[in-house]
Amino acid sequence: MARYGMVIDLNRCYGCYACAMACKVANRTPPGVFWARVLRGEMGTFPNSVRQALPVLCNQCEEPDCMKVCPTGATYKTDDGIVRVDKDKCIGCAYCVMGCPYGARYKVDDWNSYFPEGLPLSPYEEHTKEFWEQKSGLGVSTKCDFCIDRRAEGKEPACVQACSAKARVFGDLDDPDSEISYLIKTKRGFVLRPEVGTEPKVYYLPPR
Amino acid sequence: MALTNTSKVKEDVWISTCCGQCYCMCGIKVRRQDGVVTEVEGNPDAPTGRGKICVKGLASPQLLYDPYRVNYPLKRTNPQKGIGVDPKFVRISWEEAMDTIVKKMKACQEKDPRGVYFQATTTQASEIRYGVTGFMKAFGTPNYWVSGGGLHCGNGAHFMNGIMHVAWSIIPDFAHCNLPLNFGCSKGHGAGHVAVQNATQAADSRARGSRTITFDPMQSAQASKAYEWVPIRVGTDGAMALGLVNVLLNDLGVWDDEYLKYKTNGPYLIRPSDGRYMRDKETNKPMVWDLVDNCPKVHNDPSVTRVQYEEEAHDVALFGEYDVDGVKCRPGFELLKEHVKKYTPEYVSEITFVPASTIRRIGKEIADNVEIGATVIIETDEGPKKIPKRPIAAHFFRGSQGHVNSGWTCLSIDMINHMVGAADTWGGALGLGAAVGAGYKPTGKPYQIPYPDEDGLLMCKAWVYDHIPYPLRKPKPPTRLDLHDMFPTSIYNAFTIMNPKWFEMLEQFKIPYRPDIMINFGSNSVMTMGNAEIVTENFLKKFNFIFSFQLYITEFEEAVADIILPDTCFLERYTPAVSFPSTFSHPTGEDDWGWTIRQPVIEPMYERRDFNVVMMEICKRLGILHKYYKALNDVTVIRYGGAMSDEYKLCEDGSQEHTWEEVVDRMLKDRFGPEHGLEHVRKKGVFTWPKRKEDVYWKWFNPSRVPVYFEYFIDSGEQITELCKQMDPEKKYINLDWSVFKPLADWYPCPTHTEKNPEFDMHAFYWRAVTQTNSMTQQNPYLDEMSQEDTIVFGIQMHSKTAAEKGIKEGDLVWVENPEGKKIKGWVTLSEGIEPSHLAFAAILGHWGEYMPVAKGKGAFFNDLVMMDEPHTDPLTLNQDICCRVKIYKD
Repeated sequence: MARYGMVIDLNRCYGCYACAMACKVANRTPPGVFWARVLRGEMGTFPNSVRQALPVLCNQCEEPDCMKVCPTGATYKTDDGIVRVDKDKCIGCAYCVMGCPYGARYKVDDWNSYFPEGLPLSPYEEHTKEFWEQKSGLGVSTKCDFCIDRRAEGKEPACVQACSAKARVFGDLDDPDSEISYLIKTKRGFVLRPEVGTEPKVYYLPPR
Repeated sequence: MALTNTSKVKEDVWISTCCGQCYCMCGIKVRRQDGVVTEVEGNPDAPTGRGKICVKGLASPQLLYDPYRVNYPLKRTNPQKGIGVDPKFVRISWEEAMDTIVKKMKACQEKDPRGVYFQATTTQASEIRYGVTGFMKAFGTPNYWVSGGGLHCGNGAHFMNGIMHVAWSIIPDFAHCNLPLNFGCSKGHGAGHVAVQNATQAADSRARGSRTITFDPMQSAQASKAYEWVPIRVGTDGAMALGLVNVLLNDLGVWDDEYLKYKTNGPYLIRPSDGRYMRDKETNKPMVWDLVDNCPKVHNDPSVTRVQYEEEAHDVALFGEYDVDGVKCRPGFELLKEHVKKYTPEYVSEITFVPASTIRRIGKEIADNVEIGATVIIETDEGPKKIPKRPIAAHFFRGSQGHVNSGWTCLSIDMINHMVGAADTWGGALGLGAAVGAGYKPTGKPYQIPYPDEDGLLMCKAWVYDHIPYPLRKPKPPTRLDLHDMFPTSIYNAFTIMNPKWFEMLEQFKIPYRPDIMINFGSNSVMTMGNAEIVTENFLKKFNFIFSFQLYITEFEEAVADIILPDTCFLERYTPAVSFPSTFSHPTGEDDWGWTIRQPVIEPMYERRDFNVVMMEICKRLGILHKYYKALNDVTVIRYGGAMSDEYKLCEDGSQEHTWEEVVDRMLKDRFGPEHGLEHVRKKGVFTWPKRKEDVYWKWFNPSRVPVYFEYFIDSGEQITELCKQMDPEKKYINLDWSVFKPLADWYPCPTHTEKNPEFDMHAFYWRAVTQTNSMTQQNPYLDEMSQEDTIVFGIQMHSKTAAEKGIKEGDLVWVENPEGKKIKGWVTLSEGIEPSHLAFAAILGHWGEYMPVAKGKGAFFNDLVMMDEPHTDPLTLNQDICCRVKIYKD
């Protein structure tokens, strides 16, 4: 059984937000929900300052804190290492939203339109609303699942497919011959906040 | 993933078409589930996009279904016009709309059809180049401008790149370039040309270890991804480039001898009396000095000509004084080399704020990386051929050229490439788009192989507009409402039409008619050109009747439109040719050619109707449909490289009508054979054929030369000076400095650089955010939300130290005011990533319109500071100066 992970090459990434948008469109996430997100930071002082884009998503941790704090067992790991939520078991306590050291979980109580109130929903928003309610659910915790449905159709996760910089590589960490294993090994792959000890499976390659 | 409840799903299909969120024209696949468009992805079959699509394209379902779209024809019932006036729009029927429009158009047609002014958006570039141009020819009006692009785009860049590369733009050969010099342009960084593939290529290039140096006042995407960011004062890139040329030629003695001798007019002999070519008495051709035979030869004498790299030719002189018919002449290159000596690193440093030592070091880096003399072998149709390898490339776009020094800045930056032979060869600066190509073999179309004119200089075969970049247009008494046909360069200007005394100017220049009807196609010119009040009052309110094809009720419609027609967006229409003529759609490099089409993913909703179809209907009612078809046939020759064959020509004698679908089908069959019509191409959304390597790296396969000494500018300068003297002797209306029409490059200051009032101590400029550019994106809530993820998009970016000195804090509301007293409001976001005397604005934000509630009130409206007058116009290209000197103070 594979153990899925992702590599994000910060040298290739130029911060275009296509990953975050592709995720939004593929998963029909409502306002304020970014299963994939691009953070911005600035380091150093002029003229040696650096603006850095940092794409983030659920790290699909090997030892997920979100799973530990879940009182009902709604959060579980699949055999291939993806951290998922069983919306029927989730009671919406949001401990996992607080417990995730990476801010990757979102609980949506009320579905909201992207447009100002007072108008009937567009056919597209009717669709996204239905999609969200059926797949992710309201009043429960939601998160990235490495696009489990797309992968079932033989496609890559939406954020990987959309990346014009080819900065994202999805693959099997247990396969020593996979591209991501090779990249992590040879290009100084690192994880975010290793000190929290959750063993993230999203790796980053340094900006330069 | 289908809809989760699969039992309900009846339909789930992906349709191949072409994006229309900007002019990059990427091939896309669009998902339709139960009649609803739900997803967009890149189309891997399309060389324009190759399976990738940007943040704007991805977000397009929200454009298609935006509840604020215009869905029915609307009529203004308040006769008063202007910003802030309630137009009191009411819904009308299509029949009423068309009756009104056709009645007004008929009256104009009878009086003087030139009273019609077509205004269009560059986002729908394919419609502009076909339907819009076709209608203008059929109706008989020369009056036209595009807003949004145009003067905020590439009047300078397209002009120069046309002359030097027969291309709309230039870009490094990312696959092989080791030292891209980026003069503040977003190419390869999301918001620029061929956006997604250039980003892929630039990322591959970084991964390979190329060392990009980016000159930019702010740490833009391109600067933050560069190996080195060189903060530079806005509007001074041309001076920087001339400084680098000087370091190369005069400090380091580095140039490409072979290139300059056989691929430029550098060796052409110049006579001292008037700076013009010394011409052969018999043939009137320019001459070079043959160092082997020790005599003058015409430029294309076989003994002094090298078309392919491996051909041999006599050595010719780049230096020295030679006697021709008793006149002592010198090669143009030597004059250039002497001319640039004044651009010492110290002098350039004063202008640009870049340390002299940095200028010297970068000059040395160019010299160290360019590998003059190195070659590679490429496979061509004629077998393996040796060509020069020059892995450096200087490139630029709007940022560096949106200034009073626009034309010469573009030339100066590109001159770096031409001094070292790094133009249209392996590793160097390549013309962007389908600049050179022999077409699909069985039909030979679209054909665009450039060729030399009598003087040996590069001529276009196919071009985006009727007027090709070289030779320059001969100034003649104007016929247009912007007087533009009297000027030697570019396509339109602002300083004439925005003049408060526009009509007096028209009188002076003997224009016998006045503006009557404006047709607007998708543009929001109240916001996209400059100060909104000036655009509205001086220009737009001069029209008697304005009708507008539009997706939203924008600030333009609110202020001045009489009728709004609900247009379809790109997901609801056919477009016959999208990636040709290629301005920004085709990537450079060795991928295939691809002719993308646009086809509807769903039928137009509500009462939306496709612009193209409505224009045909208007033509029909005006009795000019046959003329319209003829005009479309005619524009095809130059736009799409080669005439329509008789078999597929649209009917010109009025005996037959075509549907718009049929127009698409005929165009495809004409280009690619009867078996490759619409039914064939619609399956993949694109028709592809192989690109020859000699079309990618065409320089050493083509007999043309490019100028490094712009001899013919002298003629243009004299002609326009003389014409202005005749028509406006007191310089009441036109007082531009025509002395910039001269043969050698210089840098000129903008008003920003000469402002004396110490109160105005900041430089302001705008930049293109990846989420909000080249389109009407601000109303899209997905893009709006994504834009809020980066504070510099909606905030005014200011250096932390400068802000502290002025007592300004993060989030403070401020006024930014220009010396002309125009001011805008916004909130400040602090940053270290900006040259301390600058303020950066993401364009074009700050909507106030009532009918675009998502866009309303977000960001600052920078263009309100942009003055569209003579002091802010480049005399060479009529380009608009888009930097300002400002003061900033708290609200």
